[in-house]
Amino acid sequence: MSGLAAFVIALLAAASPAPAPSPAPRTAETLAIRGGTIITLGPQGTIAGGTVLVRDGRIAAVGRDVAVPAGARTIDATGRYVIPGIVDAHSHTAIEDNVNECTDAVTAEVRIADVLDQHDINIYRELAGGVTSANVLHGSCNPIGGQNAVIKLRWGKRPEELLFEGAPRGVKFALGENVKRSNFRVPGATRFPVTRMGVEVVLRDAFRRAQDYKREWEEYDRKVKAAGPKGEKPLPPRKDLELDELRDILDGKVYVHAHCYRADEILMLIRLADEFHFKVRTFQHVLEGYKVATEIARHGAGASTFADSWGYKVEAYDAIPYNAAIMAAHGINVSINSDSDERARRLYWEAAKAMKYGGVSETEALKMVTLNPAWQLGIDKRVGSLETGKDADIAIFSAHPFDPSTRVEMTLVDGTVYFDRAKDETKGPLTSAGGAQ
Amino acid sequence: MRARPVLALALAGLALSGRGHAARGETYALVGGRVVTVSGPVVEAGTVVLRDGLIEAVGAGVTVPADARVIDVKGLTVTPGLVDGFGGVGLPSSRPGPGGGGGGSPAPGAGPLSPQSLALDRVRAADALKARDNGITTALVIPREGVLPGQSVLLNLSGDKVEGMVLREPAALHLHMATLTRTFPGSLMGTLAYARQALYDAGHYRDEWKAYEASPRGRKRPRFDPALEAWQEVLAGRELLVVTASRENDVRRALALADEFKVRLAVAGAPQAFLVAELVKARKLPLLVSVNFDPPRAASPFGAPDEEKERREIEDAERNPAELHKAGVSFALVSGHAPDFLAGVRKAVERGLPADVALRAITLAPAEVLGVADRLGSLETGKIADVVVWSGDPLAKDAKPKMVFVDGQLYEPDERAKPSPSPGAASPGASPSPGDRPGPASSPTAEDLR
Repeated sequence: MSGLAAFVIALLAAASPAPAPSPAPRTAETLAIRGGTIITLGPQGTIAGGTVLVRDGRIAAVGRDVAVPAGARTIDATGRYVIPGIVDAHSHTAIEDNVNECTDAVTAEVRIADVLDQHDINIYRELAGGVTSANVLHGSCNPIGGQNAVIKLRWGKRPEELLFEGAPRGVKFALGENVKRSNFRVPGATRFPVTRMGVEVVLRDAFRRAQDYKREWEEYDRKVKAAGPKGEKPLPPRKDLELDELRDILDGKVYVHAHCYRADEILMLIRLADEFHFKVRTFQHVLEGYKVATEIARHGAGASTFADSWGYKVEAYDAIPYNAAIMAAHGINVSINSDSDERARRLYWEAAKAMKYGGVSETEALKMVTLNPAWQLGIDKRVGSLETGKDADIAIFSAHPFDPSTRVEMTLVDGTVYFDRAKDETKGPLTSAGGAQ
Repeated sequence: MRARPVLALALAGLALSGRGHAARGETYALVGGRVVTVSGPVVEAGTVVLRDGLIEAVGAGVTVPADARVIDVKGLTVTPGLVDGFGGVGLPSSRPGPGGGGGGSPAPGAGPLSPQSLALDRVRAADALKARDNGITTALVIPREGVLPGQSVLLNLSGDKVEGMVLREPAALHLHMATLTRTFPGSLMGTLAYARQALYDAGHYRDEWKAYEASPRGRKRPRFDPALEAWQEVLAGRELLVVTASRENDVRRALALADEFKVRLAVAGAPQAFLVAELVKARKLPLLVSVNFDPPRAASPFGAPDEEKERREIEDAERNPAELHKAGVSFALVSGHAPDFLAGVRKAVERGLPADVALRAITLAPAEVLGVADRLGSLETGKIADVVVWSGDPLAKDAKPKMVFVDGQLYEPDERAKPSPSPGAASPGASPSPGDRPGPASSPTAEDLR
């Protein structure tokens, strides 16, 4: 809505104008990671004794015989494993204040990006677990929560510099027990819905309002066009930040990341999405996804689940550890997420469980915490595998990431080393990224 | 819909017209004191002449007018009246603190989301005047509770009617970066979304009325909305938006919001502003830094309070003014609803803020931020006669105001008055009214909601 911006008087502002946003932080350093086993998860497969060349924050070359330019700094990865940085498709890291806007059933207007906390120590701890990108989500308090923030773990940078530039927007949806609030009580407060039926009503009502809103703006656009450049401009409709988001979901511009557990509610959301002609990008948790894998695959959604976490509440009783493998076997893009600052530090072992339960291949299992979640967040052209031209988001492990003795030695984001175990261990305990501006 | 007229009244005007004030007209000459003008050099053994509510003369070689009542202030220190640029002076409180910062606990009548609410309507003149016991002559008044607590009023503490005290009304529209519990916004992200939507709505409202006024025939009359009315002057860049920040990133958030809607911004509170000193400096952001270093904190919905973190926050807040100064940032110091304003300022000096900078930060600096430096904040000819005579250096621990002149009227402080901590005085960044505070078990935990 340009009317507002145009009308106000910029010159009267008390504070000085904002400087132009800085471009994505990139390093000019050229790096050669040499001698390690490179698990590219791309067409080049796994390369023993290979080299990853990093220039301008991107991967310049990957292979066995890569010419290393003079002046490049060498990182010796002999005996180590080099993999793409891990992508966590479900995180609540680095959120300041409440992770939920609980007071309304639909709060698509609230933005995680507004409340990022660059000092959250978990950013660093997750780097120490090889994580380089995360889908930071609103909680599951209400059917339609807030807007997500896909971030890179650029520890020490300003909050706006954490944002994964160009990542598609997303909104958190939630179904089931948390939404109907059977797991907890807020004294004195009742908020519709308190049943799964009610959740569906809230969603349908919200999208009907979004359709009306969309029509209203289309009508306005038509009037503006009809009036021509010299005609009287009609008054624009009221801009509604909540409905803006929902309309953009209808228009396919915003991803839906839907927290869910039970098969019936998953089917409900698929039917509702079909009715309103939008796509659910990911089903999150989706512990009964194995029961409706065919339907999820047909819808084209991804599924982001836990490896072997179940039984912790009524809607998790039917969960099985074979969930990831079964959904993958049905052709669904499957990721394993953390939903936890703690679990995020060991997602590589969570991925390994897909091999134990269901016999997923090693490569496919590793993709469940790299390339697959990258697709789910719409950032797979940038990260998720080690390929020429992609961002140099890289984790270097002491042993194969599925080895029970492995640990992360070094983590790079945009070709910058943000975690270096050998170096960081000499610094003593770390509590926050102090003073970063 | 049209803007409410802004009352930017120079009190001198009122004084000369003789309205509203008794005991006008006396002329005083304060002779022989150490005169700290703030805007210029300190004059040892100077004279200050006050006439008709204004400063007539200041300096070393000033002739004492024949009709003046001469007061010998040898050995005493003369300063401008102190300005509390952000506090609760005169607001009703269940336990009023006489320390000047003003009471704390919620007063009836104002909703947490009512930009149209006027602090003017809630000030009790008799309570406000008590602040003079601590040398405060000017105060910006805004409730600390709520998210959009309304619009503040800037008062000069003389006379006996609030209307006669008004320097500027409304002084600013306020947004506290706080949250509610049972109604939107219940999260910081909700507060930001609410503010953003309110500003969009205010713009739309303005456009609706503009179109209607341009050609009312055949057009449906827009619906009057007092809350959206309240934003109009802010949106037009004529009224200051004061955002109360309690976290480092709140300063960034406030700036981003002001940039998005091109509004004039000042940030109040800002106990961690030194962490963003470079940003504040680069943006020339007007700061009203609170000396309420240890406000009662809101109960965390996520378990026990983190005592280590709280201790660090208090330490940070205490050294914040000194660190800001070292970084070359200019700022005002304000009570932030602390029960004892001066005690907080003295603490900042103990933590390394130079005393002359501190005095400026509670006189001329807040006057600058609030746009009244042309009429008060320093001892200069023609400015309002807000003057305090102190037993010694006002920032020394045992200094007492001996005489307080407001609009040229002499007030002799009650020396027995001692600031007492007011349990009701919480920070604006904390939670709203007690009745609205979440009990420990009232909100879902993060684990519950995964």
